[in-house]
Amino acid sequence: MKHAVIKYLSSMVMVLVGGVAFISPAQAVPSFARQTGMACESCHTVYPELTHFGRVFKANGYTLDNLKEVRGITATKEEMLTLTGLPPISLMVQVSETWLSKEIPESTGIDGKAQNGTVAFPQQISLLYAGKIAPHLGGFIQMTYGNDSGTFGIDNTDIRYANALVLPNEQSLIYGVSLNNNPTVQDLWNSTPAFGYPYSASNANVSPLAATQIDGTLGQDVAGLTFYAMWKEALYAEVGVYRSAKQGVTNTITGAAGPLDGSNSNVIAGTSPYERLAYEHQWGRNSLEVGIYGANFKLYPGGGTVDAPAVLHGPANHFKDVAVDFQYQYIAEQHLFTLAGTRIHEAMTLDASFNADTATAANVKNDLSTLRLWSSYYYKRKYGATAEYFSTTGSVDPLLYPAGESAGVVTSANGSPDTRGWILEANYMPWLNTKLSLQYTGYTKFNGASKNYDGFGRNASANNTTYAVLWFAY
Amino acid sequence: MKIATIISLSLAGLFSVGVTVAQDIGAEDRQAALHIAVTTCATCHGAGGRSISPKFPSLAGQHASYLIAQLKNFKLQSRGDPDALGYMWGMAAPLNDELMAALADYYNRQQPANGIASASNQVALGRDIYANGVAADGIPACAACHGPDAQGTDAFPRLRGLSAQYSLKQLRSFKNNLRDVATMHGVVSGLKTADMKAVVDYLQSLGP
Repeated sequence: MKHAVIKYLSSMVMVLVGGVAFISPAQAVPSFARQTGMACESCHTVYPELTHFGRVFKANGYTLDNLKEVRGITATKEEMLTLTGLPPISLMVQVSETWLSKEIPESTGIDGKAQNGTVAFPQQISLLYAGKIAPHLGGFIQMTYGNDSGTFGIDNTDIRYANALVLPNEQSLIYGVSLNNNPTVQDLWNSTPAFGYPYSASNANVSPLAATQIDGTLGQDVAGLTFYAMWKEALYAEVGVYRSAKQGVTNTITGAAGPLDGSNSNVIAGTSPYERLAYEHQWGRNSLEVGIYGANFKLYPGGGTVDAPAVLHGPANHFKDVAVDFQYQYIAEQHLFTLAGTRIHEAMTLDASFNADTATAANVKNDLSTLRLWSSYYYKRKYGATAEYFSTTGSVDPLLYPAGESAGVVTSANGSPDTRGWILEANYMPWLNTKLSLQYTGYTKFNGASKNYDGFGRNASANNTTYAVLWFAY
Repeated sequence: MKIATIISLSLAGLFSVGVTVAQDIGAEDRQAALHIAVTTCATCHGAGGRSISPKFPSLAGQHASYLIAQLKNFKLQSRGDPDALGYMWGMAAPLNDELMAALADYYNRQQPANGIASASNQVALGRDIYANGVAADGIPACAACHGPDAQGTDAFPRLRGLSAQYSLKQLRSFKNNLRDVATMHGVVSGLKTADMKAVVDYLQSLGP
């Protein structure tokens, strides 16, 4: 029973981490503006959404540098060092308050309700190195303090080498390699998960149980090495692999930061492949991107203890994620409009979880699909609104999406991952690096049902969330 | 005619500063300029300087002297219209005189894009204002300096085919002194908004 509880708790933690990771907010970085000497609007419609120029800047490795440099060259003019005049350091702050439609139960066991209205001061503070490191080498390295973890740690990171060729017919070919810690954080479009909408979300809300692996679940938990090329700033292709790179874990025998063993949860077996193909067409004030992306993750559930040992070999859980995405942008002087979306399908073969002594999956094969479709409008980059529809559906598995034994809220009474709802957001930007947002998330279905989804009387709409956030970067 | 002569002389002085003639451009600078043009400038100004975005001006076929003068103005931060600040102050900052000359020469040699027909019915009015000015408002003919076919000269920019959005923004910038060119400020100060729109629609409609 003890083993079962530990495995249950570890699987719940894994699922919940997956559930909240995808809302990790995306960033825009004033150090890029300082480095390039260009205003925010060059790279962003409104931060963090990228324009075409911003996408090309990212593909080129964040290295466009118009500052005076400290340089070192050889006699053959080979560049050995170029340090920008200002270190590309930025600060990003989010302060927020979150209200749930209905309070959640008291967690200490006695009858009562938790306080509603969670002030996050700050929700997060990030320190970023974002800009050029050396000729053709740049980075977006984010360190974040979060009020939920209470610690300062690594956040989204993308370090890349990039170069560009002029092909014989005067067509450009950008190519590079990215070392990053979150599948899709290196992507150029905001229709993929890491920098997708919602750009900022509450961390004091109730998150649904299910999320696909590529949808932020593995963020900051992996290291990816991907190779990419972009032809004529239109056709983009990328392939790479991901391997587990855990944070905050030590090997209990050596006391060192590794190697990983069965005590660690959700460890990638070897390396997992990642692929991306996208095409962007531009005309007039418009651009349209369509693409596919995906990964094939083979994960050992791990999470073992001395009493309930686990090993990082043998049966594993396979997650085959295949996704499509699109992004349309209309960018004029006064009116800016974006329509974007993605659909991710995940085919799971849970050999490890299903065959475990204490199974954590009732089916060997499950599937999970997430759809997001959103649209934004901004007037003069000052007043804006965004609406999103989101839906996650999948096969019923009462062990993977368990009913739980206590207060519910984050459980599913019927073993279904289905969650559906919408987001409405209003924005006011007094300055281009300061955003005030009021966001409302409404659920029509949560963890499998609209009414009494957790078996303890909580309805999906009880998790409706009002979120106000002040977000600025400098 | 008198106004045109004054404008002619003053702008000729403005655009003739430090111009490097094409034959003086070294092969290394030409190669560097080609790389910059294809991998950086083209992101906004289009392949070969034929912009597909109305926000960014086409550079193909533009006079080298004008391009050099503008790049210098960007670098010196003396051109203050919104997109100059937002984009070009930074982009021009690392360019030296040789690269500016090589870039200008590259774009001067490119084949201009076709014009874009305007949806407005004011093209005829714009053509008339361009050719003859607006006597009642004291507006001189654009053609007096920019040429009867808007091809420009070494001293005055080519205006053919520039997007209406870009040209309108420039005229407003001259009017508001964001782009501090006294002659153009004088020319457009009395120009009505409707007339401005007609002129820029006409210019946008002109092909190579």
